[in-house]
Amino acid sequence: MVKAKLKPLEEIFGMIRSYKKILTLSCGGCVSVCMAGGQREGMELTLELVEFFRQNRLDAEFTHYTMERQCNPEYLFDAEEIVREADCVISTACGAGVQYIAESHPSKPVFPALNTLFIGIDRDVGLYEERCRTCGDCKLGYTGGICPITRCSKSILNGPCGGTHFSDGSCEIDREIPCAWNDIFERLKSQGRLENILTVHPPSIWMDQAQRTMVQYGFEERYRKKE
Amino acid sequence: MKGLKTEEKIKLILQRREAMIKLCLSACVHCSLCAESCFKFHNHSKDPSYMPSYKALHSIGKIFRKKGKLKDEEFEEMKDLIWNKCVLCMRCYCPMGISIPLLIAAARAVCREKGYYRTYDVISKRIEKSKKVLTK
Amino acid sequence: MKAGSNFEKVLAAGHFAVTGELGPPQSNNIEVVKKKAGFLKGNIDAVNITDNQTSIVKMSSIAAAAICIQQGLEPVFQMTCRDRNRIAMQSDIFGASALGCLNMLCLSGDHPNFGNQKTSKKVFDIDSIQLIALAKRLRDERKLLDQEKQFNSELKLFIGGAGNPFSRPFEFRALRLAKKVMAGADFVQTQCVYDMERFRDWMKAVRDLGLHEKCYILAGVAPLRSADMAAYMAANVPGIVIPDGIMKRMNSVPKDKAGEEGIKISIELIEEIRQVEGIKGIHLMAIEWEHRAGEIIERAGLLPRPKVE
Repeated sequence: MVKAKLKPLEEIFGMIRSYKKILTLSCGGCVSVCMAGGQREGMELTLELVEFFRQNRLDAEFTHYTMERQCNPEYLFDAEEIVREADCVISTACGAGVQYIAESHPSKPVFPALNTLFIGIDRDVGLYEERCRTCGDCKLGYTGGICPITRCSKSILNGPCGGTHFSDGSCEIDREIPCAWNDIFERLKSQGRLENILTVHPPSIWMDQAQRTMVQYGFEERYRKKE
Repeated sequence: MKGLKTEEKIKLILQRREAMIKLCLSACVHCSLCAESCFKFHNHSKDPSYMPSYKALHSIGKIFRKKGKLKDEEFEEMKDLIWNKCVLCMRCYCPMGISIPLLIAAARAVCREKGYYRTYDVISKRIEKSKKVLTK
Repeated sequence: MKAGSNFEKVLAAGHFAVTGELGPPQSNNIEVVKKKAGFLKGNIDAVNITDNQTSIVKMSSIAAAAICIQQGLEPVFQMTCRDRNRIAMQSDIFGASALGCLNMLCLSGDHPNFGNQKTSKKVFDIDSIQLIALAKRLRDERKLLDQEKQFNSELKLFIGGAGNPFSRPFEFRALRLAKKVMAGADFVQTQCVYDMERFRDWMKAVRDLGLHEKCYILAGVAPLRSADMAAYMAANVPGIVIPDGIMKRMNSVPKDKAGEEGIKISIELIEEIRQVEGIKGIHLMAIEWEHRAGEIIERAGLLPRPKVE
């Protein structure tokens, strides 16, 4: 799922300090799972902002509301009125959610409370690891299920580069980061699939050069562009 | 919604969804088509409590009939039904045109107002304080 | 002949080749390049011009390479995958070739995290092996990547890659070199060699794959300047393994004699490297010590450099 983390309070404060009626809009989707922007986090953020405003001798009225999901039209309805009543919205959704709220309320300033970081796995409660960069040309088939785009610091397809530490197989940039290609080699070797990386893999077909819209298989007819 | 008491907010949530809730309560013919399209239902050995219609009727249906005046235990119990047994994926199909996820979302909204929601870990101590500040 | 550069001719004639290294300045100061080139000229067959090494902004490797040509020193311009996408790479190869650069070394490049522009967007559009293949395609087929239309001029290029015998997974390192040869590497320069035992093991694996007959392999040699430098490199630079014996020697001499000891070690290493079957030369990385390079090469018995036609 999408993983995100709260921006520094000062930065959020800087965006909203001139407004008088401020709505914190939480999202019950991915950002609540990674505990960055769910109901509880939204309420805590609101509380901190109330305190921040008080310390700066600014007067504003704060409201908090949680939408089930900020990236889907069906769930917009519940927050329509509360958004309309506010001078500005500080959304604790991911980048997609923030944009969707902004698009749905074009006259309303909508600000992000989070930095959206990556698509990752839940290693533990509050501990997440990036696993996918949505490059659009998945390599996992020949890399033993280890993503070289995401996990290799240089995103190389014919690794490992010369930067793997000899003593512990860590990446040149950080001893804490294991070399993805060292792991790929070990896994493929253990599965008897080393031939997967003995040939030169061609350059990636990058699919993230422009904004993507996807029509799922089976829905082509429904979304066919009118001639 | 600003300045309203919890009960008033719940009333407002129910009012907004009144037509859909009434449709659900009156028009559901237990055809089980919604169950057929629910992956949660299939993945849990067709346990009837995973049927989308069941989930709607036993959450928002119950809240509506009792005008939001449920016991705390009842809200607590409901959490499992509307958060664990439904993920609002929106794939359930109803021939009568009932939007089940919207009803579950309304039930979640009521629960949220009552302070019942998913936190994914231990509830922080600060939450009580923030509730007070926000409902002031 | 792929490019007919002096470097290639020396190797083709069967001489033991010597390449050096020149780090461009962190400014536009041409005098620095000229001065360093002056130290190296006549002592080596070609000089590698580093491409923003350790991600620290320096004068462009192609510009510095062109200056070296003006000074009568043949360059091997290095190109990393860190800062250019495939458009810029192909464009820069055209540009370098037009300026008379005949030798090119393809590298992944150090991660931006090391340098003085840590928050930059890293590129890594293609990797070093794909860059070798791209350069070969430009040279042999006169075609851009993914394009069938040929351009109508000749592009001469002697293409190289890096070899690293001292990184994990050790077992894969020779196989990865095979991928570079498969992609089109004409020559290979290795990471600095201190651990001869491991280096011989790696070369055996390389010979078993027959790679020493398909490309020219030059072993990297970098003189240690002090015990501190040795300890730092061993601990922090990936792909550098310094055996205890060498560490002890560096530690056993007083600070002002450490440089001399480092040079002695380098000369001994060069002697040993020359005995390894399949090694066609050395790549001397006298980093910020260009003025001592001539002395090291001379004491190693590698002067004068051969003149080939």
